[in-house]
Amino acid sequence: MHLSLLLLILGLLATVGFVLGRHRALGLVDKAAQLRSLPGYYGAYVLLWCALPSLLVLCLWLALDSGFVDRLLMSDLPAAVQQLPEEELALYIRDVKNLATGNVVSGQAGRELQLGADRYQGLLRTNLVSRSLVVLGLAVLGLFLGWRSIDLRLKAMNRVEAAAKWILMAGSTLAVFTTLGIILSLIFEAGRFFRLVPMGEFLFGLRWSPQLALRADQVGSSGSFGAVPLFAGTLLITVIAMLVAVPVGLLSAIYLAEYAGPRFRTFAKPLLEILAGVPTVVYGFFAALTVAPTLRRFGEGLGLEVASESALAAGAVMGIMIIPYVSSLSDDVISAVPRGLREASLGMGATQAETIRRVVFPAALPGIVGGILLAVSRAIGETMIVVMAAGLAANLTANPLEAVTTVTVQIVTLLVGDQEFDSAKTLAAFALGLMLFLVTLVLNVVALVVVRKYREQYE
Amino acid sequence: MKRASFSAAVILLILSVPAEAQRNQIRIVGSSTVYPFATKVAESFGRTSEFKTPVIESTGSGGGFKLFCAGVGSEHPDITNASRAIKDSEVELCAKNGVKEITEVKIGYDGIVLANSRKAGRLKLTRKQIFQALAKEIPGSDGSLKPNPYRTWRDVDSTLPEVKIEVLGPPPTSGTRDAFVELAMEGGCKSWDWVKDLKKADKGRYQEICHTLREDGAYVEAGENDNLIVQKLDANPNSLGIFGFSFLDQNQDRVQGSFVDGVEPTFDNIALGDYPVSRPLFFYVKKAHAGVIPGIQEFVQAFASDSAWGPDGYLADAGLIPMPAQERSRLGSEVRRLAANVR
Amino acid sequence: MNSQPISPQAPSPTGPAQLGVDAVRARLRKRNAAARRFRLLCQAAVACSLGFLFLLLATLCLRGYQGFFQTLIEVDIFFDPQVLDPDGSGDAEVLASANYGSLIRSSLQEILPDTEGRRARRALGELVSLGAAYELQNRVAADPALVGTTQALSLVASDEVDLLIKGELSREVEESERRLSDLQIAWVDALDAQGRVRTRLSRYFFTSGDSREPEMAGVWGAVVGSAYTMLITLLLSFPLGVATAVYLEEFAGKNRWTDLIEININNLAAVPSIVYGLLGLALFLNVFGLPRSAPLVGGLVLTLMTLPIIIIASRAALRAVPPSIREAAYGLGASPMQALVHHILPLALPGMLTGTIIGMARALGETAPLLMIGMVAFIVDVPQGPLDPATVLPVQVYLWADSPERAFEAKTSAAILVLLTFLILMNTLAVALRKKAERRW
Repeated sequence: MHLSLLLLILGLLATVGFVLGRHRALGLVDKAAQLRSLPGYYGAYVLLWCALPSLLVLCLWLALDSGFVDRLLMSDLPAAVQQLPEEELALYIRDVKNLATGNVVSGQAGRELQLGADRYQGLLRTNLVSRSLVVLGLAVLGLFLGWRSIDLRLKAMNRVEAAAKWILMAGSTLAVFTTLGIILSLIFEAGRFFRLVPMGEFLFGLRWSPQLALRADQVGSSGSFGAVPLFAGTLLITVIAMLVAVPVGLLSAIYLAEYAGPRFRTFAKPLLEILAGVPTVVYGFFAALTVAPTLRRFGEGLGLEVASESALAAGAVMGIMIIPYVSSLSDDVISAVPRGLREASLGMGATQAETIRRVVFPAALPGIVGGILLAVSRAIGETMIVVMAAGLAANLTANPLEAVTTVTVQIVTLLVGDQEFDSAKTLAAFALGLMLFLVTLVLNVVALVVVRKYREQYE
Repeated sequence: MKRASFSAAVILLILSVPAEAQRNQIRIVGSSTVYPFATKVAESFGRTSEFKTPVIESTGSGGGFKLFCAGVGSEHPDITNASRAIKDSEVELCAKNGVKEITEVKIGYDGIVLANSRKAGRLKLTRKQIFQALAKEIPGSDGSLKPNPYRTWRDVDSTLPEVKIEVLGPPPTSGTRDAFVELAMEGGCKSWDWVKDLKKADKGRYQEICHTLREDGAYVEAGENDNLIVQKLDANPNSLGIFGFSFLDQNQDRVQGSFVDGVEPTFDNIALGDYPVSRPLFFYVKKAHAGVIPGIQEFVQAFASDSAWGPDGYLADAGLIPMPAQERSRLGSEVRRLAANVR
Repeated sequence: MNSQPISPQAPSPTGPAQLGVDAVRARLRKRNAAARRFRLLCQAAVACSLGFLFLLLATLCLRGYQGFFQTLIEVDIFFDPQVLDPDGSGDAEVLASANYGSLIRSSLQEILPDTEGRRARRALGELVSLGAAYELQNRVAADPALVGTTQALSLVASDEVDLLIKGELSREVEESERRLSDLQIAWVDALDAQGRVRTRLSRYFFTSGDSREPEMAGVWGAVVGSAYTMLITLLLSFPLGVATAVYLEEFAGKNRWTDLIEININNLAAVPSIVYGLLGLALFLNVFGLPRSAPLVGGLVLTLMTLPIIIIASRAALRAVPPSIREAAYGLGASPMQALVHHILPLALPGMLTGTIIGMARALGETAPLLMIGMVAFIVDVPQGPLDPATVLPVQVYLWADSPERAFEAKTSAAILVLLTFLILMNTLAVALRKKAERRW
């Protein structure tokens, strides 16, 4: 039976269980006795009995059956085939399976192969039939047991709520494990990199040139993995971005929170947030094709030499993208400063500007700093803008008019195209990713601490 | 309740899509240089035949072979494009994974050009000058090597302009880079006799000298987006770019190709074989898939028809340099024989 | 700067009191001027950031609006039975494989001068798109009775003619450096003079999939692909994200582990998105054996990416519900689960939805992770289901930007505008929901 049909029948059974359970509970009610829970809970109780065990078994079955069938198939193959070296055996089994499912077979289908394929088809059929029988049998059994156990003493609500809590927990475990899995895989692959390249060289080396050959017959160049130029480049571009984003974003936030009327505010704030929603590919094009050439021409007018992939262009455009992160968060924080502080200051004769600068701003500072730190971590992790507008060559320089490269650019160049998961070249991407993760981790923790420590000062 | 039933319906819709083992659409991977040509053929094939339009991914030649050689079966691609011939190591990889029979089809030539903006003067270079401008180490006359000292083109040769050397080119994963290094750099590198002699004595050392590009910022790795390179050249008249002829052909009003060894990169010069930096383009077909995945033979034949790869075909319009008539008719009949065999 | 007390001892002919008032007035003027300057500065900042936005949008519109249009050439086509069906068999296969390009060339030959010779005929054929021949073919396939008749049709012009009409192609450059010859330009001018050239909203742009002919390329395939991908992402990440947020916020205790989980989730925003693509490649394609290029896999990968955003937003929304609501529910005898389902979740829902929409908007604009799972591909057919090969809108932008044909530049910007329209719609929705959520307690 096809999986979707099986699930459909399960769903139907569960619905039937709900109706039956509710009906039985209502039937129990008479003048003398009251139910302990609402009737719907009895329905849900039967439903859970019907669906949960069978679904669990189904999941387990799906996870384990292919390995089991493979083993059965293997034991039925002729001895000559079983003696084959592991790689050829795997190929043979693939062929058997492909033949059975009507897929492409690597060579001519011989008699033996055909026999194996028939056997495999038989196994698959048995597997499907037994799966359907077991799962549906369990569902019916669960339905019956659940239905029978309903009586006046049953605390259906407590049971159902406990089950719901378990389901919630299972869901969140799944999500938490995926997020943890992402980090763990980063750490694991980075560990493999550090076995090939010493950590000291990676952290303090001044030359980045990951030109290892990936194919045996390709000539690469030197492979040196000193990441300092990348960190410096990232820092330079981030600083430029923040030099654009912080003043503009902060002053915009002050205007929106303190001066602007409500109508302007409701219209300007979402408009500003569009800046953050524009896909970064678009910013990349804007930086590479509009801003960079303009800067270059302008610089040449002043007699300066500006690289066509200058850090300034990429950083400035990234700064524009970050503006709403700074302004939105700061706006919220400034608006949250109690009115009393402002009124007291104005009452003492301070002008509005003085109130903002001397009273409101210091009060809001922790939140603003937190927001800025979050914006910094966004700038560090930003990829597409720098991929398109910043260079690939790792120069160690502090001159914003020269081309630099960033950590994210290098991750992308290392991963796109040819990859080889036992070469330091591909693994370096994970080490860089881990570095990025750690830096933003520190930033986030600092932001969290700053915000937590000063948040409730005025309440 | 309404929302719940709606989402239930959607889930059912998704689950009810049968998990087909059989694909009815050709899958192609491989070189980004061949991609523009393969897509043209695929589109016309899809529109004029009863088959579905093939799906084409541009993964680079190396990445393409890796996917192609991963095995047989509908989850693996049927055809891979390449801007270089398959290497022995890749044939071995294929064989290891059960991809035993591969058919190579050569489709034409592509010139690799060094181009700059029309706003600047046109350069006339030799391969030796290209090597001097871009190599990491320059051989001396006495068998020594020194780090590349040249900053401007004038430093390389007094006939060239006083402009800083800045060349935007492809990264090491690209087949264009492989070909450029083998044809232009190695061609220039051979002009030192002792290096030339080294080829027989110590091939590894020879390749290291000839194939290594400088890493001090004069050669800028500009990613695989050739169009972005063209636009950056337009914005910055002092830099040169390395890319395939088709991009030059489409942007003749913005960029111009430099002369190499006195030959201008034009359609005719590349077709005649006069332009020194040109290389053949290929695609490779998995024989086991032909006859199982519908349309493979027909697609290969569409590619190898004169209306596609001939001198008046639509691929020539897109910048593919056709093979000489004789070679074409020989390969064309081979392809037809392959198709007949499989059926 | 103005905190010094007024000095009473200052010598002055008009007396200390008068002086004090003057000094205060002078300083007040200064302070007010400073206040005005500050206000102006703030206004300038807002103007500046809004200016950036308009600059960006204006650049895109200027570059892209012509991508929505296409040039058509009106021609009377004679469906010559001699060419289409010489034997008069009426066989569908014969009609399908006929040379429709030759019909177009013959028709053009009749209305234009200097069209003798094989070369000229070829050059003539380059005026109209390859797609025009397919269109004629489709018409005849739909109605074989057309053979032998003459129809006035609007044919799609080739991309170069399109660029010329739109003024994007410079006539000044030398003939050898142009894609159109002098003769071809003269023909186009002649057609224009006869009133046969029209520019219309492009039919193909909104209804077809990708194509290598810029004049026939469309975004519909990518829009459908994006829709499938987003649907999968939404179906997976919303329930999972909300369940996680509810569990972490309502049931899990506050301890070191939950702190760790919280920081980890907050931090996932900083993992470069391409890493998610790599995980998707390893997990969904290599382990689970799902098909390449499928929106299903794209949706799964983007789920990994949006999940943290949804969890964070949902937790914040749950926290924002005042405790009094919960206490009131308890007071009336509700169980914790009942309080949650009947009262807290409905109140937190707008905030959760806002976060979901923002996460979805980010997923909609994402390119890098899809590079690794084969969604960056040339796909002409519009996908019919979540397992068919498909691309998404930002990938289409990326692909067109890399195409050699000049006419794709305008198409790229036009596709960006389409993408931005969707994003702005989603943002507007999020703002509207947030307004609903911004309830004062």
